[in-house]
Amino acid sequence: MAFRVLAVDDETDFIETLVKRFTFRQIPVTAAGNGPEALALLDREAFDVVLLDMRMPGMDGLTVLKELKKRHPLVEVIILTGHASIEAGMQGMSLGAYDYVLKPVDFEELLEKTRKAYERKKLNEARNTA
Amino acid sequence: MKPETRPDVHAPPLWPHTLLAPVLAGAAVLLALIAPPVIGFILALFAGAVCIGSALILARRVRQGEQEVHELDLRLLQSQKLAAIGELSSGIAHEINNPLAIITQELDLVREIAGEGPDCSAADRAESRDSLREIGKQVDRCRQITHKLLNFARKMEPVLQEEALDQVIEDMALLVEREALGRGVSIVRDYAPGLPPICTDVPLLRQVILNLLTNAMHATPEGGAITLGTRRDNDKLLIEVRDTGCGITPANMPKIFDPFFTTKEPGKGTGLGLSLSHGIVARLGGTLTATSTPGKGATFTVSLPL
Amino acid sequence: MAEPIRVLIVDDEERFRDTLAKLLTRHGFTVRTAGGGTEALALLGQAPCDVIVLDVKMPGLTGQDALPLLRAACPEAEVLVLTGHASVDIASAMIAGGAADYLLKPCPTDELEGAIRAVYDRRQATRPR
Repeated sequence: MAFRVLAVDDETDFIETLVKRFTFRQIPVTAAGNGPEALALLDREAFDVVLLDMRMPGMDGLTVLKELKKRHPLVEVIILTGHASIEAGMQGMSLGAYDYVLKPVDFEELLEKTRKAYERKKLNEARNTA
Repeated sequence: MKPETRPDVHAPPLWPHTLLAPVLAGAAVLLALIAPPVIGFILALFAGAVCIGSALILARRVRQGEQEVHELDLRLLQSQKLAAIGELSSGIAHEINNPLAIITQELDLVREIAGEGPDCSAADRAESRDSLREIGKQVDRCRQITHKLLNFARKMEPVLQEEALDQVIEDMALLVEREALGRGVSIVRDYAPGLPPICTDVPLLRQVILNLLTNAMHATPEGGAITLGTRRDNDKLLIEVRDTGCGITPANMPKIFDPFFTTKEPGKGTGLGLSLSHGIVARLGGTLTATSTPGKGATFTVSLPL
Repeated sequence: MAEPIRVLIVDDEERFRDTLAKLLTRHGFTVRTAGGGTEALALLGQAPCDVIVLDVKMPGLTGQDALPLLRAACPEAEVLVLTGHASVDIASAMIAGGAADYLLKPCPTDELEGAIRAVYDRRQATRPR
């Protein structure tokens, strides 16, 4: 199941490790260091699942999520953050995030959640074209 | 639309507090200065009583006013949300009237020209063909509009996925747990082993559980515990959120899923969470119920079909 | 032979106003069209008309805002509101603002013509000779 992942996080070490692990599993992954970069990438290329950090310089995670869902409503977003705020969680989930996951997270678990998010995207797409 | 304004005729006057009370108290103080000690003491007590009485009455009115404003805000918020949904769908529906209007006219023109029979000119025939082309174009436009409307309706429908129940709810538990531990409240897992997977809208169910856990956390005092449990009951899967908080009074019980009901102080919490959760669970084909022993705690149960 | 009724169609949908103009012209009306309130005012400045067919939802100057300006520019004209958006509030506001009638799109052409003639005849009957 080859799906495309966009990982958005300003923590370079974290993102590099993440990219390596996805690549090792032969899952196409692209990294973005901030919100505007991520949105620009989404406009140019097709992604299925976005892993989104909450606290980034400039545009914060919730703003990115809002914009993302406006322009690409079918793309699924998993919030992956160290920022454990219930408030942010409720807002994120009601804005349409698939899940709110706290770092650190086991990669196998994250991979499974990403697969599930992709499954939802496919189900949504099938429904929209019906 | 203009908001309703309470006619000022019914509001109690302020002058007793802004004029009369200070004047009385002030006069009493001044008199106390020149009166003999006993009278002075009585006047001082009188002045004090006037001030305290006035302050208490004003404070109560201010608090009432705040609560009324808060309630109106909630109603406005809810009706704005509903109005937004209504506006959106009626806006989309109205859009269709423009292409329909064009189709109506083009048809009228084509009928007229067709009615001329063999007498119609080449120019008219060309007009006819152009009108038919335009009708086709506008029908396409209508199709796009109805698709938009259908898409909007679809967004309200759950997307069903099969998932282990623990996997659905555990991330929300971890999120609330961080803040709960900071308040001295623990979250205990009681997941039944060997449960069959649930078929449901995963992110929607997550929102419900997050709401229930957050409420439980706010209701539970330091040192208390929230139990998050899953179990099977015949053909239903149950998720229980049990807290050791203050519980729900029998008076409040019938109202807890009402859109504006809240036990929080004015300004804190919108009271919309539980009613939304109730609606979501209903949309998922299940039920959300609550039981409580006042003073001991409350248990919220999400029951979903297998 | 009665003088042709002069109609001004104000609507931002080009195809709509053009085809309506075509139909009305075939039926003996003298028709001009405008894509919005500002254009309509300019045309009325050049020559008056008898009946204005006015849309409500237009970019820039809406029908509601244009109504008083149009009536001021051409007091002898009657205004027929023709719109795709049904709203009791706007309808009553427009009638209160001087519109003679309020019609909903889609509207069959013969009904619209009937309304134009009716409104014109009423005006003619009250005009001092």
